[in-house]
Amino acid sequence: MLETFSLSWRVAVRHWLIFRKDLFANVSPTIIDPTLFLICLGLGLGAYVNQVEGLSYARYVAPGLAVSTALFTAFFECSYNFYVRLTFENIYKAILTTPIGPREILFGEFIWIVLKGMGMTSMVTLWLVVFGFCHWEYALLMPILGGLVSFACGALGLIASSLVKNINQFQTVYSLVISPMFFFSGIFFPIKDLFWPLRWLANLSPFYHGVSLGQHILWARELGVGLAIHGSALLALSFLLGAIAYRRVHPLLYK
Amino acid sequence: MGEKDAILISKELKKNYGKLVAVDGVSLEIQPGQCVGLLGPNGAGKSTFIGMVYGATPRSGGELSVFGLDPQTNSRDIKKRVGVVTQEDCLDEAMTVQENMSMFARFSGVPSHEIERRVRKLLEFMALDHKRDASIRALSGGMKRRLVFVRALLAQPELIILDEPTTGLDPAVRHLLWEKVLELKEAGTTILLTTHYMDEAERLCERLIIMDQGKIREDAPPRELIERHCPGYVAHFRNREVGNTLHHYLSEHPEGVVYEDSAGVGVRGPDLPWISAMVSKIETAPEVVRPANLEDVFLKITGRGLGSHA
Repeated sequence: MLETFSLSWRVAVRHWLIFRKDLFANVSPTIIDPTLFLICLGLGLGAYVNQVEGLSYARYVAPGLAVSTALFTAFFECSYNFYVRLTFENIYKAILTTPIGPREILFGEFIWIVLKGMGMTSMVTLWLVVFGFCHWEYALLMPILGGLVSFACGALGLIASSLVKNINQFQTVYSLVISPMFFFSGIFFPIKDLFWPLRWLANLSPFYHGVSLGQHILWARELGVGLAIHGSALLALSFLLGAIAYRRVHPLLYK
Repeated sequence: MGEKDAILISKELKKNYGKLVAVDGVSLEIQPGQCVGLLGPNGAGKSTFIGMVYGATPRSGGELSVFGLDPQTNSRDIKKRVGVVTQEDCLDEAMTVQENMSMFARFSGVPSHEIERRVRKLLEFMALDHKRDASIRALSGGMKRRLVFVRALLAQPELIILDEPTTGLDPAVRHLLWEKVLELKEAGTTILLTTHYMDEAERLCERLIIMDQGKIREDAPPRELIERHCPGYVAHFRNREVGNTLHHYLSEHPEGVVYEDSAGVGVRGPDLPWISAMVSKIETAPEVVRPANLEDVFLKITGRGLGSHA
């Protein structure tokens, strides 16, 4: 067990070393995109919007922006990046000649994606705290939330990797799954007044629960309720998606 | 040597991908210190067999034991003792030569304090030390191949698997790699090699296994294979029209065999006098006369060319 973890950790370290080589390119979207959203939506559109849930619009969107960083980081890492490592670069083929097996490779992916999600979410949260768009009291919970959302959305990316026939098809997955998840997550407007099937679907989305929990945390409202409902839903969905991803991707590495 | 000493024992090993049968009942044993060549046309099942040996591919049937362990349940312990040169280079393009090696050393479980020394030694061994800080993209095909080769030696393996190690390389690099393989062989390392080059197989291996369509067709030392399948000499003609004359000649001298290939038409006879008698009779000078070689054996066994009347 210890050896499994130690070998998985080395896979995660490999991804970090590659990530670090191009740190600025890899981190810049994480900082710049939420900043643009905050300026355009929070301040621009926000000027026309009175209050949402009793908050200025910038404060309303802030938690979701931090959580969405985890969604995009994780999905892209586990779709395009993973797929390229698997099919074009043959990285895993080489790794599999060493004592590392398919299980350690997958655990390594998960370790890496959780840590990456935690790091990216922390950076955006720090940004929000510095600009005063959120309550900082509970901000320390955000890296954990980011890690969990990243795990679930990374699992979605891995599942997509096991389904696509070529790299172009990720675009369809993005448009049909990731975009709707993003827009109907309550990040830009409360979804409680939406047509009921959409609300029902949102409940199946780990990202919706992540955003909702993030709002409880960064608005400092009813944290206990948020953790009980959205926290447990997020945990359950993460577990489910992680298990599906493992079962689907393992045969790609061991065939 | 008996089954007890063998480091690899395969019994009726099978692998299917859906309806496609890649490996179809392979039984063989490899003793420590042997250098075994695995030959066969593309798609014969060589790489699939190799994948099962180090546990990268699950088997569909039969038994397999490597170092007395089952690759299906204990590939980790097997892979600690096996070095693999994969058919594709599979190098990390974003990293330098040195970084690729150190990372692989960590994957292979080389103790941290050993990594730097071992990487330096291996890069020197393959004359790559001047490229240690070069990025992989800046390397020539031959350099990449050399790097993949020493990468497989990091864990000081007892068994080295070379899957087409010299395909696409220039003669100088091939000779360098051969030299290194022979050094390892001298040191007692067991080697399992696949190749499409018969000269490579003949030079390096004391035992050749010819596979075709997932099955073992032959398993013997190189000289024995030639003696058994294609003894004698070959006269080759560029002009295909000689074919008819040759067939006519052979109807009276059935010891010989005619074959056609992309370069023309040839005859194999039991010895040189037989060949010269034939040449003087048909009054056409062959382009070349040579001893039959492994390539002739290979083409005969895998169903193309010499002796198969194709």
